[in-house]
This record gives sequence, structure tokens and C-alpha cells, in this order.
Amino acid sequence: MLDWSQSQRRPTAIRREQNLALVSAVVSGAVVAGSLILLLVARVNPETGAGLRAVAADVVVPVWDVVRAPFDGAARLAGDAGDYFGAVSRADALAAELDTANARLRATRTAMRELAQLKRLLAVREPSRQVVVTTRIAAATAGSLVRSAMLAAGTRDGVTRDLPVIAADGLIGRTIEAGERSARVLLLTDVQSRVPVIVERTGQAGLAAGQGLPTLLLIDRVGADVPLLAGDRIVTSGDGGVFPPGIPVGVIIDPRGAQPLIRLAASPLGAGYVNVERAWLPIPDDAPKGPVFDAPVPVEARRRGAPPPRLRDAPPPPVATPVMPAPAPSPAPSPAPSPAQRAAQPPARPSP
Amino acid sequence: MIAPPPPPALLMTPDERRRWLLSLWRYAVPALLCALLAALMLAPLPLPVPAMPNLALMGVLAWAMLQPGLMPPWLGFVIGVLADLLSGVPLGVNATLFAVAAGSIRLVDAVLVDRDHRFDWLAVGLMVLACTLAAGPLMALAGRPVPVLPLLWQVLTSLIAWPLLLRACVAVQRHLARTAPRWSHG
Repeated sequence: MLDWSQSQRRPTAIRREQNLALVSAVVSGAVVAGSLILLLVARVNPETGAGLRAVAADVVVPVWDVVRAPFDGAARLAGDAGDYFGAVSRADALAAELDTANARLRATRTAMRELAQLKRLLAVREPSRQVVVTTRIAAATAGSLVRSAMLAAGTRDGVTRDLPVIAADGLIGRTIEAGERSARVLLLTDVQSRVPVIVERTGQAGLAAGQGLPTLLLIDRVGADVPLLAGDRIVTSGDGGVFPPGIPVGVIIDPRGAQPLIRLAASPLGAGYVNVERAWLPIPDDAPKGPVFDAPVPVEARRRGAPPPRLRDAPPPPVATPVMPAPAPSPAPSPAPSPAQRAAQPPARPSP
Repeated sequence: MIAPPPPPALLMTPDERRRWLLSLWRYAVPALLCALLAALMLAPLPLPVPAMPNLALMGVLAWAMLQPGLMPPWLGFVIGVLADLLSGVPLGVNATLFAVAAGSIRLVDAVLVDRDHRFDWLAVGLMVLACTLAAGPLMALAGRPVPVLPLLWQVLTSLIAWPLLLRACVAVQRHLARTAPRWSHG
């Protein structure tokens, strides 16, 4: 008599497969949970993985610096051919432009001499611009939420973070991370980018804010209430200490509305060679170096004025740092409180 | 099969063991190709809009379809971490998206066994769009809210790039299958 009833145990192969599927599902869930935890860690400490990022860029960017050379050559050949065909009309246009420029130059020479005399009278001391390194943009994140470019020059060449990057036509951005052989540049078009600018014609100060699009927004405009015109030139104001004053940022293309649109002067990725310059008036870095005593402070709390994490062996801070818009660098370091003030004010947090 | 199972380890001849060790790199080809695609996304295109197709994500999707065993979700996580490091977004954004994408391809494979190329194209387009839209909340979770609408350009170019990428991956797979080591044990 044969026994046709189902066997109680599943066959070994099926059991093995089902167990493997269960294990892989558990591992997948753990991996997704782990990556969400990584996001939370990045929220608490935005510098998470900066070292790893620098290493990855150090590996990839020199390769791109070599790989893009033939493409650059091809582009230059195409440009040369285009130049050849349009040469005559362009020469005429340039001759006309040269006439007007010469006329303006004659007027400017007198003004410059007067300005130099006045500055000598007032004993104005001006910091000078200084080029750290001239390099070219080797790679860029053209398909990412963060609009950044990478330079094939790093700490080996003297590039650190928060240095202005300037092309022949105008401002490109500032460095945000530096590896040994590579540096990451936050382009003007990125959402996090804020550049202190003035409108050249009216003298109004403001911020050029990136919005992830090819155009910038002119926000937080202060100064005389003069309506802007399309074509007004926007240059850096030198506030904030990173960008030197007078660097072209762009021109206004849409002055209507509360936040006029700016078209960039220099195309960030088409620019061939760029200068990395020394910061104009560098603000002393007050970020804690070394092991911090307190728990990390979230970004939002920092933006609302919570004090930064304190060093383990640092004295308790005299006052809580004032509320300051985080992206806009402060125009000048606030004067240190006098000893009398410091004694009068209670410490921000009780010492442990 | 780009890496057929070897004979049992105890029964291998020394020559077979040597060939087996020398053929182990085949298991890493999908992951290495995806890492290469992540590096390829750093090409400095002179475009004003973010129009570089999301090659790394599509590479993960293609290999999760072609070789599910060689592109598990945890490998998608690793490739996502690499893409995060290279593209400068907070660590974990692409890692989450790639892991979820590789896992969801497994789910689709379990439900819809018989599907054609056009359905895959549509599914990949929807998945790239979903990843683009989901990146906004993830960036906000990481403390850096950004607008994701400019990245719709990337979805468009990704749709165009998918057949080419899939064809390249299939060519790689065919080459690997052609040159796979043969074991004499039958």
C-alpha cells in the first residue's frame, strides 16, 4: 500500500531557498534602515564623511582631468573653425567696441588718478587679491541635487575650503571641500550658495542666491529704492570676507518682482581655466577642532542660535552666539566683549 | 550564467582550483560597472541644466534585472554610498534610493515574470522619476532641503539613455557568458 499523504517536511532545497529569501529580506531591510540612520547622522553633523568624500574625489578627479583633455581639444578645434567663418564681421564689431572703450578709458584715467589721490589722503589700506592656483574644472555633478564642480588641485597646491573660484568672465563659486589632489567647488547655481553682491548702477547691496536653475535670484536687497533695469550688472561687494569686490556675477534679466532674476556672467562648466584666489578678508575659523564635550547640535538648532559644540578642555563660552542667517557669512567679526561685560553676563550654560 | 558554479571544493583538482580563483572577479563585474557609471556621471557637461542621466541608478536597475544574484539590495547600498561620496550629497540619499530600487526590482520579478522590453523601459522610467521625487524628502531629512524639479531634465535624459545602457550591459553579460570557465565534471 502506497502512502499518498503529503510529507510534513518541506524538501531540503525548498527549505534552503525559503531560508535564504528570509535572510536576504532581513538584510535588505537592515540596509535601508542603516542608510536612513546615515541620513540622520548627516543631519546632526553635516561634515559626516568629508574625509571619505575627499578620498573618493582624489581618486576620480585626476582621471577625469586626463580623460577630458581630448574633448577639450576637439571643442577648441570646433571653436577655431567657427572663428574662421565669422572673422570679418567680428573684427568690425570689435573695432566699433574698441572706439567706445577707448573713449571711456580716457574718462576713467582722470577719475582713477583722482581716486588714487583721495585714497592716499585718507590712508586707505586695501587687501590685495592673490592667486593660489590656476587650474581647470575637471569634473562636475551635472546630474545631482548638489551643483558642484571639482578642480584637479587640492591641499597639495594650497587649496583649502572657503576660497573664491574665479574664471575670466566672472565668479564661479567657492571651494567647500579640499582633498589632497582635488577640491570641490560649490557653484553659484547651487541652492546653498549665497554671494554678497551689489548692483553696479544703483549701489544696492543684496545676496545672489542659487536656486538649482541656470539663473540666480537677487534677494535681501537693501539700499536706495531705485527700480532695477534689465541689463544692470551685478558684481560682488566684498562683504563676508570670501569673495573679492568687483567680480562680475551676472546681469539682471528680469527686474520685475521682489526677487529679480540674474543671468550668470561666467558659465560654470564651460569655463576652461579658473583661478582659485586667497579669501579676501578671511574670517577666523571658530569651528571646534578636536573632541567636543557636548552632544552634537542639529543644524536647525544652530541656525536658531544654539551655541556650537564646545571643546572638551575649552572654558565655557561667555555669551551665546547671536542669531545669524547661516548661509550669509557675517560681514565683519563682532568685537569681543570687554572683560567687564563678560563678568556681568552669566554663562550661557552651567559648567558641568 | 556569467560565473557557473564550480565543482565541489574537495573534489577540485589543483588546476581547477586555480582556474576557479582566477574567475572570481566575474562576480564583481556588475558592481564594478555600476561604480564606473557613478564616476562617469561626473563628466563636466557644459550644460546649464542638470541633464546628466542617472547612470548609476540605471546600472543598478539593469543588473538587478539581468543578474539578480549579483546585484542584491546591499550592493545597491554600497554603490549608492559611492555615488553619494562622488556627487557631494549627504551620505545616505543615493544609498537609500539604490537599495530600495534593487529590492523593488526583485519584487517586480517575483510578480511579473513574463514582461517585455517596453514594459521594462516604462518601469525604469517610473522608478527613476520616483527616485528623483523621493530624493527631495531624503535631502530634507538630511538637513539640506533642495528643489527637485530641475532634475526632471535628468529623468528625460535617463529615459533616452536606458536602451543604450541596457544594450551595453547585455553585451557585457554575453561576453562574460561566452568566456565563462567550463568545468569538466558535467
